[in-house]
Amino acid sequence: MMQRFEQFIYLILCDVRKKRLVLLLTFLAFLASMMMFPSGSVLAKMLPSKSTNTFSIYVDLPNGSSYYETQKVNQCVVELLQKEQEIQNIEIFNGMGAPLDYAGLVKGSSFKSGEHVSEIVVNLTHAHHRDEPSYAMVHRLRPIIQRTCESLVEKTSIKMVEQPAGPPTQAAIVIELYGDESHSLNALADEIKRSVVQHPNLVDVDIMRDEVYPKLSLHIDQEKALRAGLSIEYIHKMLYMGFEGMDVSYKNSEHSPSQIPLYMVLSDDSKALSTMSKEALMAKLNAFSLRNAQGMLVPLSEVVRIEESFSTPTILSKNLQKMVSIVAEADLVSQVYPLLDVRSAIKKTLQEKYEIENTHLFDLRLMDKQSGEVFALVWDGEMKVTMDTFRDLGGAFIAALVLIFLLMVVYYKSFALSGIVLLGSFLSIIGVVFGHWLMDLFSKETFFLTATSLIGFIALMGISSRNSLLLIDFTESMMKLGIEKKRAIALASATRAKPIFLTAAAIILASTLLATDPIFGGLGVALIFGTIAAVIVSLVVVPVLMDNTKAI
Amino acid sequence: MASYKEKYLAGYLARLFLRNPLTMILGFTFILLGIVALLWMPREEDPQISISGGVVMVSLPGASAAEIEQVVVRPLERRIKEIKGVEHVYGIASDNVGIINVMYYIGENREASNLKLYDKVMQNMNQMPKGASTPLVRPLDIDIDIPILSIAFYTKDATVSHPVALYKRVEAFRNSLGTTPNLAKTELKGEHKEQFNIEIDLLKLAGYRIGLEQIHTALEALSTELPEVSNHSKENKLVLFGVKNVLESVEDLQNVIVAQVGGSVIYLKDIARVSLGYDVQNLKNASISYKNADGSWTPLQEQVTLSISKLRGANAVTVADEVLTKLSAYQSELDKEGIGYSVTRNYGERANEAVNELVFHLLISIVIIALLLIFILGWREGLIVTLTVPAILAVTIFIAYMSDQTINRITLFAFLLSLGLLVDDVIVVIENIHRHLHSKFSKEKSMDDLLVEATDEIGAPTNLATIAIILTMVPMAFVGQMMGEFMKPIPLNVPVAMAVSLLIAYIFTPFLASKLLKKPKKHPGENNDATL
Repeated sequence: MMQRFEQFIYLILCDVRKKRLVLLLTFLAFLASMMMFPSGSVLAKMLPSKSTNTFSIYVDLPNGSSYYETQKVNQCVVELLQKEQEIQNIEIFNGMGAPLDYAGLVKGSSFKSGEHVSEIVVNLTHAHHRDEPSYAMVHRLRPIIQRTCESLVEKTSIKMVEQPAGPPTQAAIVIELYGDESHSLNALADEIKRSVVQHPNLVDVDIMRDEVYPKLSLHIDQEKALRAGLSIEYIHKMLYMGFEGMDVSYKNSEHSPSQIPLYMVLSDDSKALSTMSKEALMAKLNAFSLRNAQGMLVPLSEVVRIEESFSTPTILSKNLQKMVSIVAEADLVSQVYPLLDVRSAIKKTLQEKYEIENTHLFDLRLMDKQSGEVFALVWDGEMKVTMDTFRDLGGAFIAALVLIFLLMVVYYKSFALSGIVLLGSFLSIIGVVFGHWLMDLFSKETFFLTATSLIGFIALMGISSRNSLLLIDFTESMMKLGIEKKRAIALASATRAKPIFLTAAAIILASTLLATDPIFGGLGVALIFGTIAAVIVSLVVVPVLMDNTKAI
Repeated sequence: MASYKEKYLAGYLARLFLRNPLTMILGFTFILLGIVALLWMPREEDPQISISGGVVMVSLPGASAAEIEQVVVRPLERRIKEIKGVEHVYGIASDNVGIINVMYYIGENREASNLKLYDKVMQNMNQMPKGASTPLVRPLDIDIDIPILSIAFYTKDATVSHPVALYKRVEAFRNSLGTTPNLAKTELKGEHKEQFNIEIDLLKLAGYRIGLEQIHTALEALSTELPEVSNHSKENKLVLFGVKNVLESVEDLQNVIVAQVGGSVIYLKDIARVSLGYDVQNLKNASISYKNADGSWTPLQEQVTLSISKLRGANAVTVADEVLTKLSAYQSELDKEGIGYSVTRNYGERANEAVNELVFHLLISIVIIALLLIFILGWREGLIVTLTVPAILAVTIFIAYMSDQTINRITLFAFLLSLGLLVDDVIVVIENIHRHLHSKFSKEKSMDDLLVEATDEIGAPTNLATIAIILTMVPMAFVGQMMGEFMKPIPLNVPVAMAVSLLIAYIFTPFLASKLLKKPKKHPGENNDATL
């Protein structure tokens, strides 16, 4: 066996045409693997989804919605969830966020407050005893829940929040719009949202801003109030006490963990308005009389006038610039490709009204053709983290290459030999990419090239450089014994084949369990297929390269 | 006796430990240390990421959102942006209140960051607009703020609702947790506190011609509580007397006189409904619906969730277990009041499961590799590799324990990743020993020399290759952002595992080989090894 392999290598080394063929084939394989990125055969994502035992649902009604409307939407969601087999319990947190989790940490769950928000926590059966992974379940339930329950109250947004597999991000895609003027910024956000919603793979699209809702404001006629003997402060306080209620006093108790307040308020019957209207409030204020200093009762309606107005939305800014952000989640796909689609869609639809320039990476600069107002569009969220991570890992990879090269130069004192070792290890990328492509072919869901795949690849560099190293070392010691170069290389490949195969087999076997993990699957696959490629490269390509160099 | 002269570290180490009686003890010590570390190391599901940040809140009553933005948010944002290490500043200006959210770069020192933020805000207090409240600075602390355990308490009988009793019971349990070590923060969600509700009927108020503020004044007077009067009698004795609190029960409250109209006295009960209930104005509430054993769902019912956080570096598993043990001891008291509970989050259990599963994976991988080696190298050689692998892992885990790391998914993945790499050194050594034993020259050399030489021969390339692997991992430690922090255990542990594997391979492989392997009996010439 070993002799046959030795002969095989020797024959290749002796024939220039065969040597060229080996190098050509290697080059073609490398090219083919590189082509898999632009062709979309291998898709990149930072981290794949993870099947967990829980997920959350954020229910956001438009600002100004009541507790009862929120309850109605919650009830609707819960009824749909109760049809599920694999759910153990459902918790609703009204007007607040659930106990903080990693997703909520960056999605602002702890800032939730008000009657119009709620968070629903869904606990599932144990992931091991369940066939359907949580992300598939979320994927299945999302359209059902959104279709049925979002329509109950207009402008309601229901978001399905999964626990992140790695570090949490605000959303898969966050489009940040910067500008100077809130009004035009909001208008632009609306236009962009329309482009985002149309993308089939983007879900839970929402503009992070307050909705403007109608409200009533009371204007106190100072002159009338003065004549009636009522001060503005007094009117204000009594209104608040009557309709909102106030703790007027406390009672200490040894049986209670806190003081017991005496809470005073108008009874529900007396304070409820018949409708949400100016007239109804006026009618109510007509019955609401205040006592003045003279002890006379003055109906409040006599000193106030009611106007209809609108709420003022919260103004958000980031790094001192006014900002409106649009968030969207990618539904079981990588966010990279929808982002590129959305970006070109935005460019297409907005080019009539805006002059669009590319700025940093994917970011855009939009200028209103009429008003000359300038907006900046910046991509943030998981996309930014992905870009940063891949950039940093790419940098780490290049640094690793340089370090290995320097180490080899120190050891061999030859650039050519060091180059061979480096090239040999770099070529294992062929296996990594093909491996991901194969896994994608055979797995039900998309198998992504993830950040962990890159880590696997970086680790591979070291492993495959070891193979080349042992080979070169052995050849050199053979040649010292007086064996001719081509024969020595062939001999070395054959002798080293066994430990190379053995170590490769060890890595492959150790990584098979890694490959089944959702997060570290990429690492496992990169190691398995990268090692296979590395073995072939070290035993066939490296000998050819060694023969071609004069350094040995 | 030693005719072979070692050239590399590999040979020296092999020679040093080959006939040393302590080698065996050293091996057992390593394994023991590893087991101890594995059991004692704090367990978590995900590694701790150092996220620093904070929230500054300033209220300015009566100001509109736009005004708040101009006078509160902008100036503060500008000041805070000056702090070194701040990545983003988010301003939220709404009516009456301005909030500034500060995010530091990932990995910034938390204590220093919190201090810097507090300092900056306090330094600029004089620039706050008139009428603004004192800024509230609240640091964000991910380790403490993310609860590891949450328990939902509810009344078993869904038709009975007694939120106050539920709250009191949960509060009592929460207080009993005080002695649990490593507990950071406990928090209640959806609790309803006890209060006297005085619901005034507007029509009756108008009927008796009473103003709202009269009731207010009457009630406020109830709470005037002064210390007892100390007086002296003529006999120079101390005399103490005080006014007894008039308010004891709902009846007391109902009979409070609010006004006198003409000759008749008007009691509170005449114009209002007085009850001892819960805080009805608090619309923050929590409810739960759970599946019964028969698969039917209970209706949504009121619940109080108790969430528990642990201190940084504490073992999530033990903290969660301790709380749950206390809870089951509390069971009888809960039963008495018909209160049930369900654990809605247990990160401790999840961490334990994740860790145990990965340790199991690690063991399976070791067994698989052992089988492969036994199949290819022969059972003695295979056994040697299998014995060294746990020693390598044990030392690595111990070093991780000593350097204050926690055992989490990523740490274990680092071990799984290095498992494939760390057997290499041992395999290369054992393979070379195997080859030398079966070579033609084996007869002429002593066993010791042969082992040392075989180890020494591959010393240089093995050292170099291991250093190469370590070097590839080092740059990863400098990857920034969340992902870099998250993956940090990999660049921290893989290089350690590699360095350890190198030393163990040089020390124990020749040692074990001398114990387990023998020179082949048959004539070396029969072995058709063409290489040497």
